[in-house]
Amino acid sequence: MLKLPVIRAVIGGLVGYFVGSGLTLLFRGGSFTDEIVVVFGYVVGLIGWLLGVGVWNTWVREWFGLPPKPDELTGWQRYLGFSTDHKVIGVQYLATFIIVMLLGGLSAMVMRIELAQAGETIMSADRYNQLMSMHGILMVAVAVAGVLGSFGNYLVPIMIGADDMAFPRLNAVTYWLVPPVAIGLLSAPALGSFDAGWTAYPPLSVVNNGGQILFVLAVTTFGLSSIFGGLNILTTVATMRAPGMSWGRLPIFVWGAVSASIISLFVTQFFAASLILIGMDRTVGSAFFDASAGGDPLLYQHLFWFYSHPAVYVMVLPSFGVVLEVLTHMSRKPLFAYKAAVGAMLSIVGMSCIVWAHHMFTSGMATYLHGPFMFLTELISIPTGVIFLSALGTIWRGKLWMKAPLLLAMIWIFQFLMGGVTGIFLADVATDVQLHDTYFVVAHFHYTIMGGVIFGLLAGIHYWFPKITGRMYHERTGIIFAVWVGLAFQFTFIPQFWLGTNGMNRRVADYATELEGGNLLSSISAFVLGAGFLLLVGNMLWSARRGPPAGDNPWNASTLEWQISSPPPEHNFPHLPEIVGHPYGYGIAGARHAELVGVTTTTSEEDDQ
Amino acid sequence: MQRDRMDWIWFGGLWVLFTAIGEVLALGLNLLPGQYAEEAKVVDDAYVLLIALSVPVFALVAAVLLTAMLRFRTRVGPDGPTEDGPHIAYNKRVVRGWFIGSISLVLLVVINPGLVGLSEIRGESSADMVVEVTSQRWLWTFGFENGAETTTELVLPVDKRVRFDITSLDVVHSFWVPAFRTKIDAVPGRVTELFVTPNREAEPEEDVANLRVQCAEVCGLGHARMGVPIRIVPEAEFDAWVANLAEGE
Repeated sequence: MLKLPVIRAVIGGLVGYFVGSGLTLLFRGGSFTDEIVVVFGYVVGLIGWLLGVGVWNTWVREWFGLPPKPDELTGWQRYLGFSTDHKVIGVQYLATFIIVMLLGGLSAMVMRIELAQAGETIMSADRYNQLMSMHGILMVAVAVAGVLGSFGNYLVPIMIGADDMAFPRLNAVTYWLVPPVAIGLLSAPALGSFDAGWTAYPPLSVVNNGGQILFVLAVTTFGLSSIFGGLNILTTVATMRAPGMSWGRLPIFVWGAVSASIISLFVTQFFAASLILIGMDRTVGSAFFDASAGGDPLLYQHLFWFYSHPAVYVMVLPSFGVVLEVLTHMSRKPLFAYKAAVGAMLSIVGMSCIVWAHHMFTSGMATYLHGPFMFLTELISIPTGVIFLSALGTIWRGKLWMKAPLLLAMIWIFQFLMGGVTGIFLADVATDVQLHDTYFVVAHFHYTIMGGVIFGLLAGIHYWFPKITGRMYHERTGIIFAVWVGLAFQFTFIPQFWLGTNGMNRRVADYATELEGGNLLSSISAFVLGAGFLLLVGNMLWSARRGPPAGDNPWNASTLEWQISSPPPEHNFPHLPEIVGHPYGYGIAGARHAELVGVTTTTSEEDDQ
Repeated sequence: MQRDRMDWIWFGGLWVLFTAIGEVLALGLNLLPGQYAEEAKVVDDAYVLLIALSVPVFALVAAVLLTAMLRFRTRVGPDGPTEDGPHIAYNKRVVRGWFIGSISLVLLVVINPGLVGLSEIRGESSADMVVEVTSQRWLWTFGFENGAETTTELVLPVDKRVRFDITSLDVVHSFWVPAFRTKIDAVPGRVTELFVTPNREAEPEEDVANLRVQCAEVCGLGHARMGVPIRIVPEAEFDAWVANLAEGE
């Protein structure tokens, strides 16, 4: 059993937790549920977890001059270990976040049962607030790391012609910091849960139940993971590009991952800081946010949104990359206005950091700040519009191969547009003072984050499934899935725009009976939407084992990941590839992106219909 | 070339069609609840203007998507795709047009409804009367100039500009009246202000979801039910009500 790193990690984590909390109790007294005791337990437990999973065997042994003892795992066991292979880590991320996404989805469906009718139906208002907060933070985590962690890890090194990430061990630590986040959040009910939403505004988040301290610890850990991940991707792309892979020849997904990583690396600290200040207010009696002792609740909101607005671009920029990648290969046309799209991504990175206070138009913030933040926020729609230009220009007059990834990418265009256009209503101060904190906002961010980020993830899952597994998913199920969730999604969230405009505020377990019709429609559609995901899970699990062999390049696509075997060999390329042209040479006879030496490719004899 | 022209005709036709249908629906359907204050007009006008402006944008993208679905699909044989689309990596006119279009649209929206609406809702800071609003979990207390206080309903005189001075005793709450189309947070240690001119007499039963002060910032157990109905009455009736309230204490 101890050969399996994840078991050692659990043991290390438990031992660490009891050492940390036990020592605190010894010196200080109190009980196991005191928050300061939990804090020390968690921190030492986290260290124990990491040492157990592999940090001891690799890093620490080296520090003591001992030979490292990496685990020699094969088959599925690799995915439960401290693997430094970026492809294993990519799959670990993908599997983890699909599970978290399904958990978050289930919690949403339970919430929609409560909201299907006015009045208290299946749970107390307290329980509802806790479930809503859990749903929020789980799904934010999925959106932040779902695309970047999985496809970013799996594809960035291959797409740039590298054999791995720049810091493979750090990459393993980055992934193994994630399970403690899930464990921390999901064990919050033991301390009374947290009910302040994923935004955790104080003073509520300072005075509520003890579960909030686990939120603070878990989400700070997640931030650390996010910073490491950003550092790794940036360093990899900066230093490990194959000969000839100039910045102007990077596939657009790599640019999406790079842009998101810049934000992760430089801005996540502000979120961590704001949460640590809450932790200190809760445990050591500081008063950063206590107005009666000279603190200021608005300080938190500024710090929080200083990261959390850019964070939506950490979520969506990799998704832009996925969708543009799918569109160009499956329309068999070069990416339209590549340089403009790259410029747009980088402008979004810069601008995302100077728009945060549009979340605070009703916070009591000084009025003179409203105009500038409204202006800057609306300005960001210009680079975002360029992404649409690139997407639409790419499919225009293309040879569209209407497979599930392309269909999902086209649904993405529609949905992200809906999210973007409704965003203007929230950036405009006059309409925002009515719509802020209503279901209009809920619908808006589900269109951007689920409709944008998650649908990008879904398109990517279908598109790269044959590369990752070597087998083709079931096409008809994929198309039915795309149509099913595409329709159910609209019927779930369009009613919520109406509800928000007509007096339904967000984060409520109960509402006026006049609003029942829209809520019932939204609830029923949410169930249809949730049920649709069974098709995805079924298709992927079945196809991974029984699907027809896909061959190395079933899409006949031009980027590097399709020029090597499916799944790719351990170090990706036998020799460094040489990049000789732009990745999107469609329409030019004989255009080449790369010359590979020593790669033998196979094609599938199977018809993938 | 002929085919290319037909693509553009399809796109243009669909764009015009979608825009027309969208505008008729957006402006024809009444999506908004009843207005009960002067300030609500500013907000609703901005809302309707933004919808009218977003319809053509939406229609443009939908028209390209549908044209693509109808005209650019290809059947791909078992050996995978063999034929590429034309190598169009850039088109100066399209990109320039797009930039000019999106920048002018953004500037338009920033000016109106943006800055114009902002100056209208945050402009004038004079008031005929002041109501002090104190929030705590999960209760609103309204204090009037004669010292009267109530927590069960908010009564306001019609056609008087009211300044609400809002604060909180515990956590952040938010003072929201959907019928007035405005809200502002109640923050511990601060007094936030809101100006409203109710312009229609109203009984709360007319529109239960909108004629209420509702907390809009999550504040714990009683958040969803932290609401108080609003009644708007003639000035004389208000004076009598508030005098009666003061005596009752």
